[in-house]
Amino acid sequence: MFFHFFKKKQIGFDEVVVFDTETTGLNPKKDDILSIGAVKIKNNKIITSQTFELFVKYEKEINHESIKIHKIRPVDLVDAIDIDKAIELFLDFIGDLPLVGYYLEFDVAMINKYVKPKLGYKLKNKQIEVSEIYYDREIKFIPQGNIDLRFDTILKKCEVPNMGAHNAVNDAIMTAMIYLKLIK
Amino acid sequence: MSILDQRRLIESIHPFELLNASVLDDLMQKIDIAYYPKDTLLISRTIASVAFYIIIKGSVVEILDDEITNVYSEGDSFDANALIYNKSESKFIVQEDLICYEIKKPDFLLLMQDKRVQSYFLQDFVTRHKQLKEYDAKSDFSPFLMAKIQDMFLHKACIVDGNISIFDAVSLQEEMGAKVILVEDDAKYFVVSDTNLKKDVLLGDVHVRDKISKIAKNEVISIDVNDFLFNALLLMTKYEIKRVVVMDDAKVVGILEQLDLLSFFANHSHIVAVRIDKANSVDELKDVTQSLNNLITTLRAKGVKFRYIAKLVATLNEKIYLKLFNMTLDEELQKQCCLIVMGSEGREEQTLKTDQDNALIIKDGLDKDMFVNPMMLLNQYLLELGFPKCEGDVMVSNEFWRKSAKEYKTQISTWANSMQESELQNLSIFLDAKCVAGDESLLKEVNEYLYSHFHSRDDILAHMAVAVLNFETPLTLFSSFVIQKEHDNKLNLKKGGLFALVHGVRTLSLEYEIDTSNTVDRIKELNNKGVFDKNFATELLESFDTMSGMRIRANEIDPNELSKVQKDLLKDSFKVVNKFKKFLSFHFHLNMVS
Repeated sequence: MFFHFFKKKQIGFDEVVVFDTETTGLNPKKDDILSIGAVKIKNNKIITSQTFELFVKYEKEINHESIKIHKIRPVDLVDAIDIDKAIELFLDFIGDLPLVGYYLEFDVAMINKYVKPKLGYKLKNKQIEVSEIYYDREIKFIPQGNIDLRFDTILKKCEVPNMGAHNAVNDAIMTAMIYLKLIK
Repeated sequence: MSILDQRRLIESIHPFELLNASVLDDLMQKIDIAYYPKDTLLISRTIASVAFYIIIKGSVVEILDDEITNVYSEGDSFDANALIYNKSESKFIVQEDLICYEIKKPDFLLLMQDKRVQSYFLQDFVTRHKQLKEYDAKSDFSPFLMAKIQDMFLHKACIVDGNISIFDAVSLQEEMGAKVILVEDDAKYFVVSDTNLKKDVLLGDVHVRDKISKIAKNEVISIDVNDFLFNALLLMTKYEIKRVVVMDDAKVVGILEQLDLLSFFANHSHIVAVRIDKANSVDELKDVTQSLNNLITTLRAKGVKFRYIAKLVATLNEKIYLKLFNMTLDEELQKQCCLIVMGSEGREEQTLKTDQDNALIIKDGLDKDMFVNPMMLLNQYLLELGFPKCEGDVMVSNEFWRKSAKEYKTQISTWANSMQESELQNLSIFLDAKCVAGDESLLKEVNEYLYSHFHSRDDILAHMAVAVLNFETPLTLFSSFVIQKEHDNKLNLKKGGLFALVHGVRTLSLEYEIDTSNTVDRIKELNNKGVFDKNFATELLESFDTMSGMRIRANEIDPNELSKVQKDLLKDSFKVVNKFKKFLSFHFHLNMVS
C-alpha cells in the first residue's frame, strides 16, 4: 500500500525487538535489574502501541548514586514484580526475534544472569548493536577518525529527538529510532 | 514514564487537548511510531491514506497541481480530509526524513466521534481560523495581566523611627515629597497618612511634638516587588486603600500609588486628542506626538486588535494634519485646496509612523505659487514632529504632488496610458488617497474622473494587478530545513502576503469604482458587489487581520520563534493569499500579461 524507496542497505529482518534495562549499577555480577523496557519494530514501524515495561521487585536498598541516573526510587517499585516472573514475561515478549540495543552486550549479560541458572542456557537470539552499525557508517567518512559513540552524540547525529527522561522504555524507543534511521 | 511523555506531546497539539483523559489513555495504546525516508510518497490520488500522521521530526510537503500548497513540520499533523473523504487530490511527500506518530484510520475515525474534534477537522477555513485565534488568545496570558510590580513607577518611601516627633517626621516627608510616612518598629512597618494627621493631630488631642508612633496604628499592607500588577489591584480593592507598600524580601523598596496603577490600565486616547486640539504651536504638538507613541506602545502591549489601533492612529494623525494645515495656510486659502494623505496613511492602516505620503489638490484657476511657502512649512513641521521623509518624495513640498485639479486629471490620463512601473506605482499611491483637511469635494472631483477613465480599461488594470505576482508566497519557509538553507531565517510579511492582498484589493476597487481607501472596507464593498462571495471575503479579512497584527511587532519574523498556533494562523493566511493570487490571475487574465 505504501511506496517505500529504501535505497540504503537493508538488514534483513522484518521484525526485531529493541530493549533496554535499568540496573542498580554497571557490574552484571553484582548488580541487579530494576526495570526492563522494550518495543518491537515491524518493517518501518516502532510498535509503541504494544510497549513492554516492567519494574522488578528489589529487596536491598537501592544505591543512591544510581537513583540519580535511572530515577527509579524505592516507591516506584511498589507495583513491581518478582525478577523470575519479569524474566518469564520478557522471554515471552521477545520470542526468537533478533535483539537490538545500545551497548546491548551489557543488557544481554544482565538478562542472562537470571536466564542461565533458570533454563541452563543463555539467550540464543541474534544480537544487533546500533553503535556498531553507526560506527561502520561513520568510519567510511573519516577512515582514521575517532568515532564518538556516546548515546547522545549518536542521537544528535541521526537527528532523532531526545525524549528527555531516561528510562528503559524511552531509551528503547530512541534506540529504535536510531536503528531505523541507520538501516533504512 | 515514556507513555506520559508521548501523551504530553499529543496533548500539546490542538485539538487533541480537548479529548478527555480516558479517551486519550485509550488513544495512547493505539499509536505507533513510523519512520519514512526522504522522498517517500505517503498519500496521493492513487495511494489512499491509511493513517493520521503527527510529526515528531522531519517535514512533509503537500503538492497540488505541481505547486506546494502546504508544508508540515514538527508538531504538525495531516491529513484529516484524506481519511474522512477517503481520497486526496494532493500528494504528500516526505521532504526531510520523517519520524512520526501514526493513528490508524479506524482509530482516527473513532476519535472523530468526539464532537469538538470532529468540528475542528470538518470546519471550513474561517471557523477553524477563528477557533485557532481564540486558542492563541487563551493560551497566552494577556500582557496586561502579566505586568509585574517592578515594571511600574514606584514612589519613594519615607521611613522613620517611631521615636522621632510627628513634626520631624512630617518635615522629612515634605522634604522627600513622599505621600505617606512609614514608621518602622521592630521590623514591622506602620503607616501614617494625611488622614491620620488630620484626625489625630489637627482634630484630635495629639501634639506635633509627640512621638510619631503614637498615631501609627495601621500596619502596612504590602506586596512583593515580583508579584503581578493585578494582585496589587486586588489588594487595593479588597482593603479599600489607595496605596500598597512594595517589599523586596523584608525591605521596603517603594510605594505603589493607585493613581499610577489605574493610569497604567487606562486608555489615554481622548486626552491625546484634546491636547492636539488645544495645541497652539508645533512645540506643543511635539509633546503630544510623544504621548501618542506611548499610547500605541501601551495599546500594543495590552493586545488590542490591529484594526482598532490603526483606526485610532489614523484619527489622531488626521487631527495633527488638520492642525498644521490651519497653522500654515491663511483661512481664505484653506477653502481653495484639499490636503490628502495616501499610501498606508490613506488606507488608515499604519500603526508605526511610516513615511509620509501626502499631496495637495488646488482649485482650478488659482495662483499655485501662493501655496508654495505654506506647503514647505507644513512639510517642515511634519518632519519636526517625527513623520519620516518619503523616500520617493511623495510630499507636498514636491511640486509634482502640488497640482491643480485639472493637472491631476491630465496626470491620470498619463497614468492610464502608461505601462511603466514607476507611473503605475504613483497611481497605486494616489488610489489610497484620503482627504484630511480643506475642501473634500476637490478629491471627489478628481476621483470621479479617475474612475470614469479606468472604466473598462482591462489592459491597464491587468498591468497594475500583475504586481501581486512579484513576490512568491513564502509557504516553504515553514520547513525549517528550507529556511536554514536559503534564507536568513526570516520571513517578510509585507512581501510575503500583505502586499499582494492590499494591492489586489486596491486594483479591484479601482475596477469596481469603490470609493473608500481602507482595505477592510474595500473587501466588504467588493463582497457587496458580488465580486467575492461571503466566504472568500471573510477569509481575506481574517488573513489580513492576522498578518497585519503580526506585523505590528515586526515586518520580518522568524517562523521558528512563533508558537505552533501562530504558525498555523500564518500558514492559513498565506494559503488564502495564494488563493487570492489565483483569483486575480484568472480575473485579470494575468497569464497573458508579460
